[in-house]
Order: sequence, then C-alpha cells, then structure tokens
Amino acid sequence: MPAAIVSCNERRGHGVLAKDRGVSEEGRLKALMLRGLDGDASAHGELLTLMSRYLRGYFGRRLGAATADTEDLVQDTLLTIHLKRETYDPAQPFTPWAYMLARYKLLDHFRKDRARTMVPLEDAGVLLAVENTEEGAVRRDLGKLLSGLPPRQSQLLRDVKLTGLSMEEAAAKSGMSVSAVKVSIHRGLKTMAKKVRDADR
Amino acid sequence: MRTDELIAILAGDATPTPPGRARQRLLLACLAGVLGAAALVFGSHILPAKHDFSTVILTAPFWMKPAYAAWLAVGAFMLVDAMGRPGAKADAGRLVGAAAFAAIAGLAAVNLALTAPDNRMHAIMGSSWWFCPIAIVISAIPALIAVMIALRAMAPTRLVRAGLAAGLLAGGVGASIYALWCRETTAAFVAVWYTLGIVACGGVGALLGPLVLRW
Repeated sequence: MPAAIVSCNERRGHGVLAKDRGVSEEGRLKALMLRGLDGDASAHGELLTLMSRYLRGYFGRRLGAATADTEDLVQDTLLTIHLKRETYDPAQPFTPWAYMLARYKLLDHFRKDRARTMVPLEDAGVLLAVENTEEGAVRRDLGKLLSGLPPRQSQLLRDVKLTGLSMEEAAAKSGMSVSAVKVSIHRGLKTMAKKVRDADR
Repeated sequence: MRTDELIAILAGDATPTPPGRARQRLLLACLAGVLGAAALVFGSHILPAKHDFSTVILTAPFWMKPAYAAWLAVGAFMLVDAMGRPGAKADAGRLVGAAAFAAIAGLAAVNLALTAPDNRMHAIMGSSWWFCPIAIVISAIPALIAVMIALRAMAPTRLVRAGLAAGLLAGGVGASIYALWCRETTAAFVAVWYTLGIVACGGVGALLGPLVLRW
C-alpha cells in the first residue's frame, strides 16, 4: 500500500515536470510542423528528428528492453506523422495529435503481438516527458524494403537517400522532371509503409 | 534503415500540404452518397414512383424531413472530420447534432399538443413506420461506403467512435434523400422514425469501424 502511494506521487511529480516542459516544447514543435506543412523541408526534418527522440523515449519506456521493436515503432510513427500530416488541424496543438498517432501505433503493436497489455489514455504531455537520444538497433533492412518497389522508384530512393543526390540531380539522372521525381519518391515511401505494416501482420 | 536516413528521406518529401484536403475528400464522399442514395430511391424501381412533386414541393412538411436529416448530417460531418484527426475535439459536431434533434423534438411536441388525442398515435406511427428506418439504412449504404473510405484515408485512432460518426453521417445523407420520396407529414413521425433509422446507421458504422477503418 505505501509503495503504491509513493509511486503514485512520483508519477504525479513527473507529470507536472512534463507539463512545464511541454508548454514551451509544444510551441516549438507546432511552429516546425506549420513550416513543414508549407513545404519547408528543413523544418520538417528538424521536427521529425526531435520527434524521433521523444518517440524513442515514449516507446522505450513502454516496451522495456525490446529495442528493435522500439526503433521499428519510432520509424513507423515518423512515417505516419509524415504521411498523415494533412490530418493535422493548424488550429489545434501539435502534441496531442502526435501523441494519439504514437499511441495508435503502440496499440497496433500490442495487438499484433497479441500481448494483452492495456495502454491507458494519459495526458498528452507524457510524450514530451523524457528525451532519449540513444539510438537502438534496427531490424528492418533498407535494401530488402527497397527491392520490393518498382525499379524506378527504388532507384530514385537509392539515389536521393543512399547516394545523397539532390532531387534535381536524381531528376537529371533518370530523365524525369523534378516534380515527377518527388511524386515517385512519395509513392515509394507509401508502398514501403504498407510493406512495413504487412510484414508486422 | 537507420532512423536518420528515414528522416532525411521524409524531409525531402515535404511537399506543401493544404490543411483542407482531407475535408474536401470527405465532402466528395458525401456527394457520392447523395448520388448513390438518389439512384437507389428514385432510379432503381425498388420503390414505386409516388410523389407528384408539383403539389408537395411548396409545402413545409416536405422540406422539414430533409432539413432535419441534413442538419444532423452537418453535425455528423463535423464529428467525422474530428474523428479523422487524432486528438481533435468533437464537441462542436455533437452540439450541432443535438440541436437538430432538439429542434425536431420541440416541433413534434408542439405538433402533438395541437393534435386531437385520438389522432396522436397516428401522427407518430404514420403509415410507414416499420418501413422508414429500413429504407433509411438502405439509402445510407452508398454514403457509408464512401465516407468509410474517406475517413480511413485520414487517421482515425478510435475506431468504434469513428465508425459511429461515419454511420450517423451516412444515415443523415441517406435520410435526406429518402425524405424526398417519403410521404409522411408529421414532425412526430420524423422525430421518432427518422432518428431511429439514422441511429441504426450509426450502430452499423460502430460495428464496422474496427473492421474497416484500421490503417
């Protein structure tokens, strides 16, 4: 009984800290999100980098030592934040939106694992509670994911990501327009997201 | 794939994303639902042609029915839009829907108070009470399919509630069209049987939600 009270108090203290931290961090994340929605790639990348740390902490605390699962979930959620970004309403705060996506992915993970684990609906501030910069091991192999894509899409993703070409260079190399390259890469990412989902099923 | 590599790819894919796009798709789904319901009600020959529109088109009861259903649909639309956006508040949609029901219930109460006691039962039951909810559910099928597809493309995270909202929206759309065929004229009938039909659509949606809305 006393132990339960202590842990309850600790948790409450933790929540207050998370809340204080969340107020300023929310503004920063939201500003980056809005710039990203306007097409600012560097803001979008910065947002995803920040979120990857928060997500690693959030999932890590709930999955314990399963680091490969944690990093899979981090990547899956980052992909979701990206692909579902049109569902973000600029009139609303950013953190609850991202938190619900992360929670959905976590629930999905538990459902697939058939683990009978409950995820309580918490204050959205818990998402920002701990920043964990340590990167875990990753199970999925980029080459394997890319190989399932149509050759042109996988070549473009390889060129732009692995070789480090710019969109313009990749366009010149493939003889496509820059916007066609962007569309193709976008489609490739969607297909990859679907493959990740199917593989987990 | 390393996470920083993924982030670099995603950042490079940051095309401008107007926030209204999802709502437009939802609106388009409703339009598809309207056309589908119109085809079922007026084009399928399942129901006999019934109205001489020229005699009813200027009467208030004729418009009361689709107005109520469409008002509910507006509230349900706001609800569905919120359900597709993680963390969004759904209070506004609930309020609009509740206001629609309060309006028709108030109208029905006044209507019944002015009706002779012997005729009240008939004012409530009409001549098609058993048929109306079933017809509304059937009329809602095209809208239900279209709205579910549009909602699934958003990011619903609570699938039972999201399915319920989608069902209510489909019911409102279907009932708006069925109302143009329906011959009943009393507010009491609409308050009871239209509401029942639309709520039944919501129930179907809530059952389907976890099955079809997962993304």
